[in-house]
Amino acid sequence: MAELGQRALAGVDLDELIAGAADLAARELGTEHVSLLELTADGLGLVVRGGHGFPDGVVGGVLGAGTDQLPGYALHADGPVIIDDFAAETRFGPSALQRDLGAVSAMAAPIGARGRQFGVIEALSPTTQRFSRDDAHFLQAVANVIGAAAERARHEEEVRDSEARFRELADTTPALMWMTDAEGDVTFVNKGWLRFTGSELQEDLGDTFGMSAHPEDRDDLLTRWRDAFARRSELRFEYRLMDSDGDYRWVLEVGTPRFARGEFVGYVGTATEIHERKQMEDALRKSEASFRDLADTVPVMIWTTDERGLVTFVNAGWLAYTGTTLDEELGDSWAFGVHPEDAPAVVAAWHDGLARRAVWDREYRLRASGGEYRWVADRGVPRFEGRQFIGYVGTAIDIHERKNMEAQLREVYEREHTIAETLQRSLLPERLPRIEGLEIAARYLPAGQGAAIGGDWYDALERPDGRVALVVGDVVGHGLRAAAVMGQLRNAFRAYGLAESSPAEVMAKVNRLVMTGEEDVMATALYLVLDRETGDVWFASAGHPPPLMLAADGAHFLEGGRAVPIGAVDQSVFREATAVLPKDGSLLLYTDGLVERRDEPLEQRLDALAETADRAEGGLEGLCDAVLAGVIGQRMPNDDVALLAVRPRPVATESIHFTLPAEPESLPGLRRRLARFLHAAGADDAETYEITLTVCEAAGNAIEHAYGPGDATFDVEASFHADELVATVSDRGHWRERRGTHRGRGLNIIEGLMDQVEVSTEQGGTVVRMSRRLGRTRAA
Amino acid sequence: MSTLAEIDVERQGGTVVARLAGEVDMTNAGHVRDELLVAVPNDVLALVVDLEGCRYLDSAAIEVVFDISRRLQRRRQELRLVVPDSSPLGRVLELTEVSSVAAVHSTLESALAQ
Repeated sequence: MAELGQRALAGVDLDELIAGAADLAARELGTEHVSLLELTADGLGLVVRGGHGFPDGVVGGVLGAGTDQLPGYALHADGPVIIDDFAAETRFGPSALQRDLGAVSAMAAPIGARGRQFGVIEALSPTTQRFSRDDAHFLQAVANVIGAAAERARHEEEVRDSEARFRELADTTPALMWMTDAEGDVTFVNKGWLRFTGSELQEDLGDTFGMSAHPEDRDDLLTRWRDAFARRSELRFEYRLMDSDGDYRWVLEVGTPRFARGEFVGYVGTATEIHERKQMEDALRKSEASFRDLADTVPVMIWTTDERGLVTFVNAGWLAYTGTTLDEELGDSWAFGVHPEDAPAVVAAWHDGLARRAVWDREYRLRASGGEYRWVADRGVPRFEGRQFIGYVGTAIDIHERKNMEAQLREVYEREHTIAETLQRSLLPERLPRIEGLEIAARYLPAGQGAAIGGDWYDALERPDGRVALVVGDVVGHGLRAAAVMGQLRNAFRAYGLAESSPAEVMAKVNRLVMTGEEDVMATALYLVLDRETGDVWFASAGHPPPLMLAADGAHFLEGGRAVPIGAVDQSVFREATAVLPKDGSLLLYTDGLVERRDEPLEQRLDALAETADRAEGGLEGLCDAVLAGVIGQRMPNDDVALLAVRPRPVATESIHFTLPAEPESLPGLRRRLARFLHAAGADDAETYEITLTVCEAAGNAIEHAYGPGDATFDVEASFHADELVATVSDRGHWRERRGTHRGRGLNIIEGLMDQVEVSTEQGGTVVRMSRRLGRTRAA
Repeated sequence: MSTLAEIDVERQGGTVVARLAGEVDMTNAGHVRDELLVAVPNDVLALVVDLEGCRYLDSAAIEVVFDISRRLQRRRQELRLVVPDSSPLGRVLELTEVSSVAAVHSTLESALAQ
């Protein structure tokens, strides 16, 4: 499984990966046939992309995708679909392939996130096979790896496409555009740039940034550029750029960092001519008269207002743009040309700025002569005669092309962000697992817009020994790769967490797995095992901030059990520490996005966290909300934040009642609930086992006789009357006569272990009422 | 594949010792049976199933014990169980007369000594 995941991460060809996945699933599940089906582009069919155990010619065939057959049904399912026997299946029929193979039992899992389904993986058996819940988890894990790999392949194609589309588009705009790589070397300039500078593409590529800038501006430009580059922040700078005639013209350069799969890959930028604007500003500084002369001779749009903000003049450039007359533009009617969606905010900002005599600088959509709206950058400065404010003078530039390019680019980046987030969400547990006797709340807060998604995760699972394992972790790095690594680590913690009881040993195994992989992976994690009954806690930290324990005596961090991050050192020694969670206490696990901030020392942030958590009200949900609000506040976090809060639920001692799905998978959970209830009432181990067994035998009968899979349920009630336990199991089916020695033994057990057993038929169902007194051994 | 139960198999001379830990019920009894059966080659004399770490067996699991015993008998092989005195399973195994098909020992040593 881990190997499959590593190969997926290494970018192995999808077909090869699919073949490997089919072989792996067939081997692990012990089924004869495994097929991987991919949804066709029209969504009507499923192509057999790969398989195990099929004759020639099957791979490449197309099956129907209707939900009346297993593949189509599984495609839209939330998780794995299990068919014990096709003959008894009412939800759907087998596909043509399954019929031809004579499949009796099957299991199928959807591949790909909801709404972005890739296809289905199916395991088929020609004989009766009972797939367990673990088999189902396994198949879904394989499906998730293939889903992530398919998504990644699709994404890479999209990025390639969108970069190509971007270059094409960039060449058709009159704007000046450029791109650099992660070293800052120029890798692309568009035709507009080449036209302006009169240079050849080859001359402008490489370490050429700022080469064509005016010698007086160049040092400032390069300083600003290096500074922005180092911080991966936006570059905005006005300077003089040499044109094809060797003249210098003023441009405004805007550069934005770009990321692909979370890695910084360079900058993309535009240069906008602002030469006329600059000239106007200069002219105005000299004299009003030369300003008016100049105003009508330049193609830029110019306007002036009086001290009340009413327009007193617009130049020919403005009128050419709007297609209106001077009279129409005078006064306060200019706002009518502003796009209705922008107008309220623009007008409000204008009046606000006017009152404060502030510099006016705003981008909005303004109606052009053809009736269409185009983006303009409008900028005005207050004018004074002596100390007297006399109005504004301003210029507007058509920036429509630049705006369009920006929107295009944003779309490319947002898609990148969305894919990473989708992948991460698909790898996180969709719902938190329901664990009997444990209250759980969790939050996952992605980093702010524009930032690449991180690799944080949380998970909770019930171990076979009845203890609960909790984990939170944070993969170093961002973007799709981090999200994919997170999925692998989460699975590794699940697998080792179930098999190994010691947290330090789980950490060591995960570390060993990571170190044998080819990719450099580094992650911090906190792994904790909790005994719900006793409150005993065992935990190990791999470079992760300490968990917080909340109890009546306040909040404090569980220190100890610390070691280096996973993936740091080959033979890391992981340590383990213990603690005891007091009755009614809670535990809060989190990732460092919650507590790490550049402007504040960690100690201070941890103190703030403890304080906030201690004051929180409203149960675990309230705790999570309070912590996010108090520690993060209104700002978007710089890094992803994952939170996991748990609290053992007090055990009911009077009576319990549940309604459960009539399927064998309900039984392990039912046993745990009963065991907790019985232990709390003082039953010893043998009594607990015997009573649990009898109730589960009765429940087993209810499950076997439930009519039709799917909706059927059964009810279990148990209560104490003094020291006598009374348990009732009721269903809506009829028990058949004892058949076979197996069922007979089940009934013998029920009768043999209980003081009294009554089986009756009530309201179309069977009710088994059993009682047994605790604390005395019944005569055989 | 099962997370409810774990089986650890070890050969000791002419005997195969299988430590069965966790829980066996109708959801995993089939797997457990298959794993135990493939663990017993033709040339051993006995299979010892150590139930010390086992916390739960239901009627399907007990049926597996009967089934394995039947299959081993056909190959002239013996099935022995280890059930410590402190195990909560004792009474149920008694009630279902498991001792009629498999010798029940309270320690692994005594099961191997036989």
